[in-house]
Amino acid sequence: MVTFTIDGRELTVPAGTTILQAAHAHDIRIPHYCYHPGLSIAGNCRICLVDVEKFPKPAIACNTFVSEGMVVHTQEESEKARDWQRAMMEFLLINHPLDCPICDQAGECKLQDYSYKLGAPTTRFVEEKEHGPKRRELGPHVVFDWERCIKCTRCIRFCDEVSGTSELDMFLRGVHEEIGVFPGRPLDNPYSGNVVDICPVGALTLRESRFAPRVYFLSDVPSTCGACARGCSVNLGTYRNEIVRINPRENQAVNRWWMCDEGRLQAARLARTGARRLSGPRGGREGAADPWRAATAAAADALAGAARAGRVRVLASSRASVEECYLLAKLAAGPLRGAPLHLPAHERGEDDALLIRKDRTPNRVGAEAVFDALNVPARPAEELERTLVSGNLSALLAIGPGMLGPIDDEPPVVSPDSLASLETLVVLDAFPSVLSEAAHVLLPTTTFAESAGTWVNFAGRVQATARALTPNEECRPAVMLLSDLLERLTGEPAPGREAIQERLSEEVPAFAGIAWAELPASSGQQLAGSDEQAAACAPTGAALKMLDAGWEKVPDSPRGKPPWVW
Amino acid sequence: MSDRRDTGKAFEGEFARKVDEIVAKYPYPRAAIMPILHLAQERDGYVTLDAEEWIAERLELSPSFVHGVVTFYTMYRTSECGANLLQLCTTVSCMLRGCDRLLLHLKNKLDIDVGETTQDGKFTLVTVECLGSCGTAPMMQINDDYYEDLDLERTDAILDAVARGERPPSGPGPRRVLID
Amino acid sequence: MEKILTRNVGVKGSHTLDVYRAGGGYRALKKALEMEPDAVTDAVKASGLRGRGGAGFPTGVKWSFMPKQPDPARESYLVCNADESEPGTFKDRLIMEVEPHALIEGCLIAAYAIRASTVFIYIRGEYVRPSRILEGAVREAYQAGLIGKNVLGTSFSCEMIVHRGAGAYICGEESALMDSLEGGRGNPRNKPPFPAQYGVFGHPTTVNNVETIAYVPWIIDRGPEWFASIGTNERNTGPKLYCMSGHIRNPGVYEAPTGVELWDLIDNYAGGMARPGRKLKACIPGGSSVPVLTAAQCEGLVMDFDSVAAAGSMIGSSGVMIMDESTDMVLVAERTAHFYAHESCGQCTPCREGTGWLEKIIRRIRMGQGRMEDLELLESVAGNMMGTSICALSDAAAMPVLGFIEKFRNEFVHYIEHRRSIVASG
Repeated sequence: MVTFTIDGRELTVPAGTTILQAAHAHDIRIPHYCYHPGLSIAGNCRICLVDVEKFPKPAIACNTFVSEGMVVHTQEESEKARDWQRAMMEFLLINHPLDCPICDQAGECKLQDYSYKLGAPTTRFVEEKEHGPKRRELGPHVVFDWERCIKCTRCIRFCDEVSGTSELDMFLRGVHEEIGVFPGRPLDNPYSGNVVDICPVGALTLRESRFAPRVYFLSDVPSTCGACARGCSVNLGTYRNEIVRINPRENQAVNRWWMCDEGRLQAARLARTGARRLSGPRGGREGAADPWRAATAAAADALAGAARAGRVRVLASSRASVEECYLLAKLAAGPLRGAPLHLPAHERGEDDALLIRKDRTPNRVGAEAVFDALNVPARPAEELERTLVSGNLSALLAIGPGMLGPIDDEPPVVSPDSLASLETLVVLDAFPSVLSEAAHVLLPTTTFAESAGTWVNFAGRVQATARALTPNEECRPAVMLLSDLLERLTGEPAPGREAIQERLSEEVPAFAGIAWAELPASSGQQLAGSDEQAAACAPTGAALKMLDAGWEKVPDSPRGKPPWVW
Repeated sequence: MSDRRDTGKAFEGEFARKVDEIVAKYPYPRAAIMPILHLAQERDGYVTLDAEEWIAERLELSPSFVHGVVTFYTMYRTSECGANLLQLCTTVSCMLRGCDRLLLHLKNKLDIDVGETTQDGKFTLVTVECLGSCGTAPMMQINDDYYEDLDLERTDAILDAVARGERPPSGPGPRRVLID
Repeated sequence: MEKILTRNVGVKGSHTLDVYRAGGGYRALKKALEMEPDAVTDAVKASGLRGRGGAGFPTGVKWSFMPKQPDPARESYLVCNADESEPGTFKDRLIMEVEPHALIEGCLIAAYAIRASTVFIYIRGEYVRPSRILEGAVREAYQAGLIGKNVLGTSFSCEMIVHRGAGAYICGEESALMDSLEGGRGNPRNKPPFPAQYGVFGHPTTVNNVETIAYVPWIIDRGPEWFASIGTNERNTGPKLYCMSGHIRNPGVYEAPTGVELWDLIDNYAGGMARPGRKLKACIPGGSSVPVLTAAQCEGLVMDFDSVAAAGSMIGSSGVMIMDESTDMVLVAERTAHFYAHESCGQCTPCREGTGWLEKIIRRIRMGQGRMEDLELLESVAGNMMGTSICALSDAAAMPVLGFIEKFRNEFVHYIEHRRSIVASG
């Protein structure tokens, strides 16, 4: 451990910590552009200059390791450091275009922020600025503006060290140097959108979010992605009841600082396909004053009838939340008199070395934990198909595959023909599928951003989504619909969300110690007994191994350099 | 590996063999990239995109990395130029001995501006930074050769010889020159 | 003074092994191999040899930073910096064309002293002829068992690789050279780590200039006391190569004791001022990165490391540029600023943006659109470029500008007030 002084405060930190890391860990903010905790150190922006006593020159805080007895003065305390940083700001701005009025970064731009905090109010530069291309598409999602770029190289380092795809590099030299891709090899990896997050200025923008509402008009809602079994922590930026953008939220246990493009572009997908959304309940008595009551009543009657004859089953989904799974289990075991319950798989491709999981559902582990503990073993969908084909079922309560978003190319859970034998098919879903097409009673649900829920990822991490949007009246949260159904079938008042969570802690040992109220906006909690899986959760892909290697030399890495040196 | 995009010349065979020789000299294969790029430029007249991709695969680097290396250095060309590249030094020591006058003379004689190529494709004129020949300034490099102690007459004689397809003797001239 | 590195200028075949051997070549190598490596380093320390590439760092001390027990998985390297690109400098080229074996022998002795297994000679790409001569000499040396496994039959083995650059002044900066040698863009590195700790491909590395290394055989052969007996004092020792260029009659490389007087060099070595009646106006004593000196400052100026520093400049690479009264100093400033803007690698903010800004301001002044506040602006911008960057190119770009404004302010003012040069036919 090493003890040093910074801005008059004495701090003790592990050996091998840089001044910048030590400062940030103790809430002392030192401005920085090229530094990112998830990438190697570049030390090229020079904005983090600090005054270290006995050093002959200004030192960059990001690459100066703390030594015993070192005395450091940052811009908070030192006029010298402020002057140096002001000088670096001036240099960055002399060729920077006055794009703020049309630049998407405005409001979360570090040039703006630091300029406001420590820059000079006027410019001394009266020459012609350097000019360059302003709308170059580097790939399907990322657009590059040369004039705004401050050459911090975060994007290049991301592609080398995190995605491992190395599409980006710096071309030419000096003030003319430019970030680019090799002709014919665009920036096209599953994580390309992350470079837009880490770009400190508006040089890299997401094509799907260009000229979207200003970031300072957005309401940020912390949530969890539902596109696969990892459940990256995300931020939903909403404006006028729409999700304008999705960014990753830092979660060292699950996704570090990153998310994949598919998850990121969910909002755009939802916006594009919104018109196909299932809308309004179906299957209740014609002309009923309250179609929802009518549909639920019709569903309850049919299911109860089939249950008495032992001819009903439940098709669950690992796209249903933990609370919804609890209600399904109670329904199956209770009023549906031990109806067998099926849990289909939705898999695509392979797990990759970074974030993407082949399991395209967010709650398989959670669903199985609940069903196991409540003695409703989850059976595969193929078994259901066989039973349907044999004609032995008259009713099926089904959660559809489109609960979280449109399902595009997924193969149907059961074949459409097999459903023909059913007298009553009750379906809860948000987007059209084979099931919703064939439903006799259709209860449209909210999607992942319109109601809260709890989910458990592939490594036993319990996380929550939040209600970010207000749904319209044509859909309802599945937890509410299932609750209504349960109440109708049992005659007892069904539990609300909080009550369900309490019961889960009592009835499902894996959830015993979960502090439910703390889940939203956090980095999650582990299921009881899942610590081993937890250790394997955060990504350690090949490119990231370089970062984790510490001081070891890695001669065969893309740059042949130690991970802390660019 | 695409083989024939820019110049139609293959990389397997003779070229690959020479590359193997170069790589064998170094303790780490990646260090061979610069001599290999020189080799590619010597063969094709400039570094083609094909060459960059082939070299990237051969050395297990990304093509964008190779392109970054190629575009960093002044000597690697990414497009064709005239048959003879005239690289006139214009840094301080040469300037003190009259290279600016020499530049004007070259522009007039060849009827091109800096960065351009003559109509007949024989000469491309560029200005470069200090070539390390300040003792025999003013001077220029034509392709690989240094032509030093250049007054206007000597320059004309050299250029005329080169235009005829000759390779006049390079190096210092008979006496030191100072163009006023 | 007896000529050492320039003794064979004009001698046919001077670059061959036979001629070099006939003159006593490789005797020093044999002697060094009979010494302990640390004793060789001590000898170089005792000689007072200082780096001749520009920084003037004591060579023996630099060698002593290398590990005494190299890790076999990370063998030590010696890099010879033959990227000579500092404007006004052309001495290393002479050594490589005329005395390549002196360089090779020096490299072998240095490698032995620092326990290196491989020598890389990084030679600038434009030096095609010198690199061919050097490669020929290396081949001869390999064939004679002077390089390779078991040098001269001893247990010392050393490989030597001549590596051509491709046109980038910044690759003369030692950490950029290392990045370039590794096969990348020539980007300087932040320190820590330092080259002796983590250099080329992570191996402990020492980088030395050509001239520095080329004198080592004589230091070992004749002893450090001989080397130290030449020069001004124990901190400024040995014979030295001075590159004379500009407005003198006989520009060229001249070998003289460290501490020769500038006017001695001009009049007695370089044939005097070029044009009768045109007096000395200014001198840049050490390559374009060092501040200019006025004619008054040149009176009695002793050309050694300490004296030139005391005069407010640096001996640097000994690129001595002589300017007479016909010189437009603002044009020199502009040409110099253009050089650094062209050569900046672009990595760090102050240099990438600052070098271009300095050039633009000075050009605007020369085009007749300068303002009085531009002088203060230049000083401020240059000041902000010093000490804040990754490498010294930023300082090298800033210092000359500060020097020109300090010493020749009147010429800038004249441009601003009269929109033309102070020099008659500028």
